[in-house]
Parts: sequence; C-alpha cells; structure tokens
Amino acid sequence: MSNKLDQIIQKQQKQITEPKKMEDDIVQLVGFIIGNEEYAIPILNIQEIIKPIEFTRVPSVPAYVLGVFNLRGNVIPLIDLRTKFNLQQTNNTPDTRYIVMKGRNNTAGFVIDRLTEAIRISQTRIDPPPETIHQDKGMIYGIGKREDSMLTILKVESLLKRDF
Amino acid sequence: MEDIQEILEDFLIEAFELIEQIDQDLVELESRPDDLELLNSIFRVAHTVKGSSSFLNFDVLTNLTHHMEDVLNKARRGDLKLNPEIMDVVLESIDMMKELLHCIRDHGNDTAIGIDITDISQRLEAVSKGEEIPEVAIEAPKEEIAIPDEPQVEQEDYSQMSDDEVEAEIERLLQQKQAEKQAKKIANPASKKPTPIPEPKAEAQPARPSKKQEAPTPAAKQESNASAIEQTIRVEVKRLDHLMNLIGELVLGKNRLLKIYDDVEERYEGEKFLEELNQVVSAVSLVTTDLQIAVMKTRMLPIAKVFNKFPRMVRDLSRELGKNIELEISGEDTELDKSIVEEIGDPLVHIIRNSCDHGVEDIATRERMGKNKNGLIELKAYNEGNHIVIEITDDGKGLDADLLRSKAIEKGMITEREADVMSDKEAFNLIFKPAFSMAAKVTNVSGRGVGMDVVKTNIEKLNGIIDIDSEVGRGTVIKMKIPLTLAIIQALLVGAQEEFYAIPLASVLETVRIPLDEIYTIEGKNVLRLRDEVLSLVRLSDIFGVKQVYDVGEHAYVVVIGLAESKLGVIVDTLVGQEEIVIKSMGDYLQGIDGVAGATIRGDGRVTLIVDVAALMELARNISVDIKASSEVVAKTKTKPSDYTVLIVDDSKMDRNIMRKSMGPIGVSMEEASNGQEALNMIKSGEYNFDAILIDIEMPRMDGYTLASEIRKYSKYKNLPLIAVTSRTSKADRLRGVESGMSEYITKPYSPEYLETVVRKNIKLITE
Repeated sequence: MSNKLDQIIQKQQKQITEPKKMEDDIVQLVGFIIGNEEYAIPILNIQEIIKPIEFTRVPSVPAYVLGVFNLRGNVIPLIDLRTKFNLQQTNNTPDTRYIVMKGRNNTAGFVIDRLTEAIRISQTRIDPPPETIHQDKGMIYGIGKREDSMLTILKVESLLKRDF
Repeated sequence: MEDIQEILEDFLIEAFELIEQIDQDLVELESRPDDLELLNSIFRVAHTVKGSSSFLNFDVLTNLTHHMEDVLNKARRGDLKLNPEIMDVVLESIDMMKELLHCIRDHGNDTAIGIDITDISQRLEAVSKGEEIPEVAIEAPKEEIAIPDEPQVEQEDYSQMSDDEVEAEIERLLQQKQAEKQAKKIANPASKKPTPIPEPKAEAQPARPSKKQEAPTPAAKQESNASAIEQTIRVEVKRLDHLMNLIGELVLGKNRLLKIYDDVEERYEGEKFLEELNQVVSAVSLVTTDLQIAVMKTRMLPIAKVFNKFPRMVRDLSRELGKNIELEISGEDTELDKSIVEEIGDPLVHIIRNSCDHGVEDIATRERMGKNKNGLIELKAYNEGNHIVIEITDDGKGLDADLLRSKAIEKGMITEREADVMSDKEAFNLIFKPAFSMAAKVTNVSGRGVGMDVVKTNIEKLNGIIDIDSEVGRGTVIKMKIPLTLAIIQALLVGAQEEFYAIPLASVLETVRIPLDEIYTIEGKNVLRLRDEVLSLVRLSDIFGVKQVYDVGEHAYVVVIGLAESKLGVIVDTLVGQEEIVIKSMGDYLQGIDGVAGATIRGDGRVTLIVDVAALMELARNISVDIKASSEVVAKTKTKPSDYTVLIVDDSKMDRNIMRKSMGPIGVSMEEASNGQEALNMIKSGEYNFDAILIDIEMPRMDGYTLASEIRKYSKYKNLPLIAVTSRTSKADRLRGVESGMSEYITKPYSPEYLETVVRKNIKLITE
C-alpha cells in the first residue's frame, strides 16, 4: 500500500519537475497593443483579462491611475497604460480590455487597446533593453525578436510599483 | 518534542492570564493586608508559575518565583506583616517575573536577555528572613536545587523518545510534581514548627487548619476551571479575522440583494412572487445582521484587559509623586473589539498619567483647599449606541483656560487675536496640540508635551471623538467616544456631482440644508453661522477635485463633521443616506491616498471611497474657493440653433425620419439611436451634449421607460428634457411616463408643428 503511494508521489514529482527542465528556456507571453506598438508580459503574471467595467475615480493620484474597480468583491486599482506611456488618450473600443496583473504583493488592472495572442518565445531570442531607453524607469524587461516584428516585454513588478 | 512546545504554549498563556490578575490583587492587598483570600490567590500565582517553570526547566524564573513564594507564604500565614516597603519589593519581583515570561515567549528560554535576579532575590530573602528563623531560608535553596536538577537530565532524552514515551514521561513528571507539591505542603507546616521534638499532636494541629484554609479555594477553583473548559475554546485570532472578512462579503451581498429587490419591486409591482421574494430577502438580511453581530461578539474583549493595569500604575505614580490618589474603576466588563482594546491602552496611560501629575494636587494643597486629602480618579466605561464611552474624571485642580491661552501664545501656537475669540472649550483642546505642555518642568512622569498629542492621534485613528470639560479647582473630565468595531461601519453616503463618497457616521454630527446666501467669506475662507457657532465650510468636490458637471442651485447640503475637538462643514450636492459599509483596503498601490481611508463596494457593485475625516480636515485648510461666486454657473454660450443637439430614439427608421423632418425648421443638430441601450451608451460616452431627447416607448433591448429612469439616475441630467413620442395613449401609460422621468408626452400621430413647438419650448429656443 505505502509502496504504491510512494510510486504515485514520485511520479507526480517527476511531472512537476521535468517539464520545467524541458521548457526552462521557453518563455510564455501574452501580447497586446497599446497605440501602435505591441507589448507583452509573462503569462504567469496575469490573473485574468476582463472586458471594461465601471470604475470609480480616486482623487489626488496621477492621471494614469484611472481609479478603482470591483473585481468580485476586491477593490483593484486601474491604470491606463496609454497615459502612462504618454500617448494620446482615446475612448474605449469594443477591443479594449483590462489585464489584471498580479505581482508579489500587488494586484492592478491595466487598460490596453487590444489583445493579440499568446506567444512562446525562446529565452535566447530576448535581448536586454537598449541602453538608450534606460531612462524609462526600467519598465522594460527586454526586446523579443520574432520573424517579422519586435516585441517589447514589460517588467510586471515595475508596472505594479507605485511611483508617486 | 511538539508536545513540549504545546505545554510551553499552554504555560505561557496561563502565566500571562495569571499575572494580569495579580497586579490588581496586589494593589488591593495593600489596602486590605489581612485579606486571606487575596493573599492566597497571589500565592497561588507564584506557586503555579514556579511549579510549571521548574517543570519546563526555566531555572532563573523558578529561582525568582521561589523567593516570592517564600515571602508570600509567610504573609499568608501571618508570620509577616505586609507594609508598603515590602510591597515595593514584591511588586518589583512581579515585574521581573513578567519580563522573564516575555523573554520566554520571545526567545524560548529565560536567559536570553540576561536578567539578573540575584539582587531582587537577595532582597526578597532579606524580607522573608527579617522576622523569620533562618531554618526556612536554609531549607528553601535545598528544594530549589533539587527541582531543576532532575528534569535537566530528562530534557536531553526527549529528542530521542517516541511519542508514546514522551507521553509516558510527561505523565511521570506530572506525578512527580504532584508528589513534590504534596511533600512541600507537608514540609511547609513542618518547617513552621521548628521544635526539634516532633510531638505528633502539635504537628497535626497546625497542619490541619492551614489545609482547611486552602482546601475550599482550590476545590472551588477546580470547579470553575472544569466548567470553563467545557464552555470556552481558544481560537486563533487569524481565524476570527478570516471569519470577519467572510461576513464582510456577506454583508456586501446582502446590500446588493436589497438593492436588486428594490428594482424588481419597482418593475413588477403587484406581482404575486414579490411577496415571497420579500420574505426571503428580509430573512436573509436579518440573519446576516445577526450573524455579523454574533461574529463581532466573538472578537469582543472586556475592557478590563486594559483597565487592570491602571491600579498598579496609579499606585506607583502616587508613591513617586508623593500624592494620595485613589483609582475607582467601573464598567470594566464593557466589551469592545480586540483590535480597539489593543489601541486604547496607550492613550489611557497618557491621560491617567496626566491626571495624576497635573490634575490631582499634592496632599498639602488639597488640605489647604479644603478637599479630601485623597485625590480621586474615576475610570468609567459604558456603552452608548454603537459606541463605547470611556470617561476619565479627576477631582484635581482643573484646567485654567486663561493660562492655557497665554501659554499657547507664548509658544507661538496661536496669535493673541485668535486667543481672544477662543472659547474655553477650544482652549482646553490646546492640550492636544503637539509639543504643548503645562508642566513647569519635565519630570519622569510627564511634561514633554508628547502624551496628549499621541492620545489625539490614536483616538482619531479609531474614528473616535474626544471631549474635554474642566472647572478650575473642581477637576477635569475627559470623554472618549469610540466605535465598537472597525471592519464594518455605519456611513453617510453623499454625492459630490457625479461621484459618491462615504463618510463614517461616527464623525457626522448633523446635516443641514442652507441657502447659499448664508455663506459668508472671512479672510478667503467660507464660513457659516450655525446657531451660535461659526463653522468653516468647504466643498467636497473642491477637496477631491471632482469635475463640475452641473450646478447645484440655490441651496446646499452641509454635512457637519466632527473629529476629536474640531468641526468642519462639508458641502455636498446630494445626501444619499445611511448605509452599513464594509471597509476594504485598496491594496499597497493606493495605500495612504490623502483624504481617502479606504473603499467599499456598494449594493450596485460599484466602488465607493471612504472619506478619511482627519485628513479631510487637514486638506480643507489649504482650500480657498469662493463658494458663492463659483456656484454661479458659466453657461455654455449657444448662439445659433445648430449649437443645440437633439437625440432621437426610435426603433423605426420611418418614425425617426418623420421626427427629423418635423424638427427641420428649428435647425438643431440631430443624432439617432435605434433603441434604449444604444441611446444610453451614447449618453454615457460623454461625446455628445444633448439638449433634449425624443424617446419612443416600444423598443427592443431597452424600452423608453427604462431609458428615461436610467438617464434620470445621473444628477447632471436631472433637468434634461425627455420627450416621450408614442402611440400608447392610455392614462396609465402617461402616468408611467411621468414616473420614469419623462418631461413631455406626445402621442402619435402628431402634427409636425406640434412636435416642433414642444421641442422649441423644451430647449428654450424661441427664435425668429
């Protein structure tokens, strides 16, 4: 009996550890559009993606913090990435989504223009951000190179960090 | 090994409970030194701690408690008369014991912080030796060595033992301890009789009475213990917190259900199922409320937990200051939330210290004034609605308002002019200002001007109110009003333009409706004369930078908020009502936003921010907007008819065209929507600014009535003309139209001229 149990546990442990080894150098991302550019964040940092819902404005915060919204009983801040990236503000379109990202000790919703796709990219194809855009408060994790396009991979922790 | 840990935890819990009681007992004992009951209970504490600590191998603690036990034992048997000097030593040793217990709790042993007990032990020994034959003292150390020795050896084995063995070992040790106790009980009376020749009769006699004395009490204690075990269980605070959170969710759900019920009731009036729904909804809401109260009660602690330490503190202070002060406590079984009990301790310490130091005069002064030479401080707690009131009264010299004023001027806190207009009550409140002290010199007890400032901040943090009243020569009364719980509060919901905010009801003193003419401007600040008070006014929308979308009219609602001692009038545009709200954190990202204490989720699922009253008052100081001037609206200039926009909502293309044609002669711009939902989205998007809306009643997705009532939910569209254009002609239909907020009702078919006139009239465009 206990032998069988041990076997099962071992098997499970193998399942947990092995695929990790295999895919260690593959990063899974979710791509989205803000303005004219495509950005991506690691899929593991995404709690969920929802359609725009009503939010409540919060006073005395920077313009890119739109307010707070109710996500099934939790109050979550809503951040407009367009404003944060100094882009022209537009109205919501049917493609607009809120991406709810989860960091170590923070959760926030981000407004994006459109989702693109889930992306698998090898770690070797991700370059560190160029020196010249370092002043961007370190929001960029790296640049992903794909066959026909480039992808800006964002650092979730710094997106979720309060900088006011 | 785990078992040992469990025993240790039990030991600590028990010990801390015991020492909480012991302080009060000791102070009481001083006034009634012959009370055997008290002595016994104190002795038992020392004894229990000693027994357990020796079992757990805490040598230092054992040693200390052993010496205490010696002294107390003698006092108990009447061999030693307790006087204040002896009490000082005993109290000090109890403090030491507390420290050791804390050390054990934090570090797991009693040697980590290196408390030296030799000095206190020597003094204890001296006290006990003072009038006793040395035989006891000799015998005592013997015992003390014997006890720690044995378990020490066994301690090492525990790690290698199996669970069963450990249990057996514990069993054995317990028995051993029992036996030791027994032996000691016999040994003690024996040692009392130093006569070397053991006369059986003489020995038996002293033993019996002392046993008798003790016998009933332990028995009683055991009994109460047994029943206590059956009736209470210890629960981790974390679990209660979790439960409280869940209840919070439930309350939100309940609010939502009530809201939905209201909507349903409106729509399906008179339907049979409503009755049933009503019953269910009320039952759920009733049970939720009860559940909430029940869970809140589990978190309640008697305030005695805080009050218990004060008799000792006052005793120490009065000895230090050379005054005679009595402390009278009442209502100590009043209960309040655990988190509040923890916060309330510090403020009370400061207030009572102040009363002892500044309030009550020394004996000579009191006698000269013809007062009782014993000063009296009363500490009272009682419930008042959803609040608990704590009152601290002293019969000391009271606060001198004039002296306070001049002191404040001297320190540059207020100007002389301010001092002149200051009422006595306002002057009393000066003592809450930081760095304000009335003490002539800084003493050990007070005078640094920090204490009362801390009191104020702490009470404000709890959403409480402080009130001070005083009469020179008669004394001072400080009253604190604190809400019972922190997680769920009653709030007043107010609207500022399109936004809603929740103000904790505890801070709301009253609401009044005033004409704008009554607002005066003094030095750029808006004020209102409310009865015989002058109240500063500020608009909520100015504080929070709310977008001005509509004008408020001739009248304003003023919510008077009060916190601790200050008051402020906040002008809001609408009063929504009182609601029970659950405080939710906004997460790290939005922590500590000025003026916002948190958020809550309302019945309609929207998030409403909770106003931080203390911060609001601070923010209000920096705002100077002339309310009267700014309320005169900057009307948007519309010069030509095409500046006006009319929205046509109808599902039939033909009908829309007819309306377009009819309005053609006016020359207004027109937009179209084919159903209510589409129209509502257009209005919500804010892209258009409609001056009138023509609405058909029969439409897919959202009918005209619903659309009208949805639009009327926005206060900025309160006066927007909504014109129903429909073929429904019955009186009931017209009535519904009025109910849903339609301003005009045109029945099809209509003449183009009629429609034109109605539209013209409604957008107030009578040109040509």
